[in-house]
Amino acid sequence: MSIPELLVSDGFITSDDKRIIEDLSAQTNTSFMKVALTYGYISRKNYERTLINAGYKIEDIRDQPFDVEVLKKIELRFADDRLALPLRIEKNKVIALMADPSDELFLDFIRFTYNLEPQVIVASDLDILWLSHKLIGEKYIKSAVYELLNNDPESSAIVTFTSPQLISMFVVLALMAIGLVVNFKNTSILINVLLSSFFLVAIIFKLFLALVGSRFELHQAITKEELALVNDDDLPIYTILLPVYKEDKLIKKLIWNLQSLDYPREKLDIKLVIEEDDDKTLNAVRNLNFPAIFEVIIVPYHMPKTKPKACNYALHFARGKYLTIYDAEDIPDTDQLKKVVALFGKLPEDYICIQSALNYFNRNENFLTRMFTLEYSYWFDYMLPGLDTLDIPIPLGGTSNHFKIEYLIELGAWDPFNVTEDADLGVRAYAKGYKVAIVNSTTYEEANNEPINWIRQRSRWIKGYMQTYLVHMRNPFKLWKKLGWKGFIGFSFFIGATPLTFLVYPLLLGIFIAYLIFDFSTIHTLFPDWVLFMSIFNLMVGNILMIYVNMMAVFKRRYYELILFAIANPFYWLMHSIAAYMGLYELIVRPFYWQKTNHGISKVSNPVNLVQ
Amino acid sequence: MRFSKSFFLVLITLFLAVYYLVCGVYLNKLGYTNAESLFYIEKARIVFEGVGNRIKVMGLTSPIFPFYATFIFFITCSKMIAPVIASAIGTAILFNVMASTLVKRFNDDFYLLILLVLFMLHPGILYVACSGKSVYLVLIFFYLFFLNILKFYRSNTTFHISIASICLVVLVFCDYKFIWLTLFFIPLVLSIAIQSLNLSEQESIFRLFLSFNSPSLRRKLISKTFALYIIIFILPIASVIVYKLLNLTHANDLNYFLESPYATWNVLSERVNFDQITSNRSSTLIPQEISLLISLKALVFCPMMILAIYLFRRSTYQILTLLTPFALIEFLHIKYDKVFIAYEYYLIFLILALLCITFKAQLIQRQKTLKFALLILVPVQIFTGYLFLAKSNLPEERNFITTLITRKPTNIDNQDSNRDISYYLNGLPGDSKVLVDDAIAYPVIAYVNNVKQLTMPYQDEFSSAIESPQKYDDYILVATAKNIVTGYTQLNNKYIAIIKLANSALNLRTVYQSDDWILYHIEK
Repeated sequence: MSIPELLVSDGFITSDDKRIIEDLSAQTNTSFMKVALTYGYISRKNYERTLINAGYKIEDIRDQPFDVEVLKKIELRFADDRLALPLRIEKNKVIALMADPSDELFLDFIRFTYNLEPQVIVASDLDILWLSHKLIGEKYIKSAVYELLNNDPESSAIVTFTSPQLISMFVVLALMAIGLVVNFKNTSILINVLLSSFFLVAIIFKLFLALVGSRFELHQAITKEELALVNDDDLPIYTILLPVYKEDKLIKKLIWNLQSLDYPREKLDIKLVIEEDDDKTLNAVRNLNFPAIFEVIIVPYHMPKTKPKACNYALHFARGKYLTIYDAEDIPDTDQLKKVVALFGKLPEDYICIQSALNYFNRNENFLTRMFTLEYSYWFDYMLPGLDTLDIPIPLGGTSNHFKIEYLIELGAWDPFNVTEDADLGVRAYAKGYKVAIVNSTTYEEANNEPINWIRQRSRWIKGYMQTYLVHMRNPFKLWKKLGWKGFIGFSFFIGATPLTFLVYPLLLGIFIAYLIFDFSTIHTLFPDWVLFMSIFNLMVGNILMIYVNMMAVFKRRYYELILFAIANPFYWLMHSIAAYMGLYELIVRPFYWQKTNHGISKVSNPVNLVQ
Repeated sequence: MRFSKSFFLVLITLFLAVYYLVCGVYLNKLGYTNAESLFYIEKARIVFEGVGNRIKVMGLTSPIFPFYATFIFFITCSKMIAPVIASAIGTAILFNVMASTLVKRFNDDFYLLILLVLFMLHPGILYVACSGKSVYLVLIFFYLFFLNILKFYRSNTTFHISIASICLVVLVFCDYKFIWLTLFFIPLVLSIAIQSLNLSEQESIFRLFLSFNSPSLRRKLISKTFALYIIIFILPIASVIVYKLLNLTHANDLNYFLESPYATWNVLSERVNFDQITSNRSSTLIPQEISLLISLKALVFCPMMILAIYLFRRSTYQILTLLTPFALIEFLHIKYDKVFIAYEYYLIFLILALLCITFKAQLIQRQKTLKFALLILVPVQIFTGYLFLAKSNLPEERNFITTLITRKPTNIDNQDSNRDISYYLNGLPGDSKVLVDDAIAYPVIAYVNNVKQLTMPYQDEFSSAIESPQKYDDYILVATAKNIVTGYTQLNNKYIAIIKLANSALNLRTVYQSDDWILYHIEK
């Protein structure tokens, strides 16, 4: 009896299930077992029970010897689809690992390819995947790391500072130093004026963007009526990438969240992307005692160990027309995918990406999560729609950005050397004349609730912004030409100015405190009347306005209880400054290092929490 | 070739701006001026031409937005007519803002024509546009505030409520008295919050009853009401607090911008006007304002307001919103009992009435009746506008309409005396220094060519110069006993007596004398 028949006789699947799985298997060219295990028909535990009941012994195969020549004859995609791998030739037999020893197609492949009979070692599908990707995934991992670098080296962040950039920076620093030595007072005033002007423009620009964005708060990119018109049969295959690293605690939650997505299960191509050395997560998947609805992709070891590299790798195996990325703890609105499909259908062809709003489900957990929620509400509900309206490049959010796969590949996918690959990709897309839209759907994430963890995460983001700015500013004139003046200014203020603002903020605050504490006349020499006036205006009006736009954003979200927390923003910005300095340090000493954010530490996990 | 409506609006706006400019400059040449515009000119001159602690003048001169609006034209145009240019262009912008709202809602040019007629002929609007006063800014932001509030009632969006709040901030910094408007919005916000709850009950009082008796609804109501208060009032309140703190740090007085004659023009003007009128009560035709009649007076001034209230008769909190300005002027009358309600506070009703008509008229089925009512009301409105100016308690307002109609200079405001002394000061040798107190002498300083010659209170050496004028200055400008504001300055005849007593060696010689001023030369 074949394994599928055994599964039916053991009562783990019904005959109907078997027929559906077989159909799906034929449609997707994947093995019966792969479909059964990745589309939620059977749990791995039950599958193992069936094998053991049938007398098979599931072996540990990670240390099995292998023959490179044998491996050369099999393509990774095929091994991945069949959950099987030939390892070596021994005693005139091909030693092959198989999750389903009754998979005749694979057995025939062995016979035809090697002209020898197979000798099957039954192993767990996860171990076979792990070994397949590790042993024959080199071509794909090299492509994941070097594709962008080879095709579009100017867009790769592998070089952090180019020589002209370094020369420019040192020339500016040298000029400043000379100026301070020759005429300390006037140079200080000049620096002061430049900083004050920069802050003033940045504040006004942000307020303007927020107001522009808030005008469209009633605008529904996709209305309920339009959503109702979406026909399940017409929906395309949708790839969801779930890059994880040591997220073993979140796997169960992840499955619950994915199961609540309103999208036909057979049209979902969900890929849990796990690093080769991440046994924790792999074992968590192995130990699930209920069916999973995702396929596991193992990313072979290769530096840099970053999320974009993992996504690039998984992209090789994506089958969908559209693709999105979620983090393990994300809770997307159930109708998000359908809304995106409907919106892509409505928008012109040059819209290649749709960004959903991000917000937090654990917003009321502590001070940090509240502040984070304020920040995200403002960013995704006001700033991004503002940028969208003004046709300025949108720095994509870390997750829930939905792509048309063909265009994503055309763009060279994500830059594995950039630690905010999403923001970089948004700019690259814009530079090539493509557009990004915003959809009226939210993904709820877990807000960082620990200060150190928060600073680590934020330092990576700020470092990434610096990287992205440096990459695209290698040739400012070219960038100006590509983005146009609006795009260029928007890019400079959004990507370039953000880290600079946080770096400068504590310095200015320090001067202000010194102004309050020390003798006025000492500071006054560095602040002529009008500069002092501008600085005080920035400090007072700027802070008030930035606090107010945060209040507006949570008011819009109806998170009334958070409104007063906006007042604490100046302290929150100080935390940004700490992260910015950490990011700057890392940019210099280890630019590709991915500061891992720990997820699953929130005590709030009930999705009901997000219903208002 | 077809032009869009917005293009036509820009053309009309430009035409109005030129029309106001011509009228304003002409009146200015005829000699019409007022304390407020002279005050802005004097302060702008200190900021741009003075020597000393200019930041205090730049930051604490109040009301701050009209002052800065004058700044722009002070740099680019003639110094003496900068406030007039600002008010002319500002009023044309007010028309553009109102007409744009109108055009977006109507396809009927009749209403635009009504608006244009009012903006061209209403004496109040002409006063706003040609006087150089800051009323234009008050009216712009008053209009935008109420427009966004009404839009918020309809759309319930954060955008409109926050824009309304930003407008309220600007309004408060154009005329601080509008801060009291917030007082009358407090009960209104609660009613808005109750209205926005998802309840089947429609009657407000029962909605209130229901929401107070259910713990979850109560919590929701409280948090929403609180959030609404914050969104509307946090900006004005925070801005006022910050501004008061700035006053405290730079002038050692929280209310410096409100109470110091160095920071604001109206502290002196209002008192002087009231003193003048009350001392000559027998000679004026206007009776003392009686509290309740202020609202009635507003309705007489702007009968269109009755029509506006009628249009909103079925919307409870829109009506309540329209009543808040009535409550405001009643409150102002009680709170500032020694100050006359200026024309500006009647004009807000005209703007509000026009806003209501813009907002509601397209929903009225009997358009002909409405148009007929407007055709009758507009001439009445223009007449009452004239009447209120001509019979105003404030000389500046009466002076304006007299100059406008007679096209002859009037001398109600004593500016001739100020001009004469300033011309004399302009004739002094270039290196001579004059001790002046701009608390009352700002109309003189506005006309002086070189402010660097003057030693004024914004400068650090002023207090030393007061004690030993011979060390710092060559001349002292002193207010005579006849000068109506002599009590508000240190440099008056009493000062001369005291300084001579303290410093017997000081030898002063009168070089110029008018009814209001004496200029002494310090013999060295």
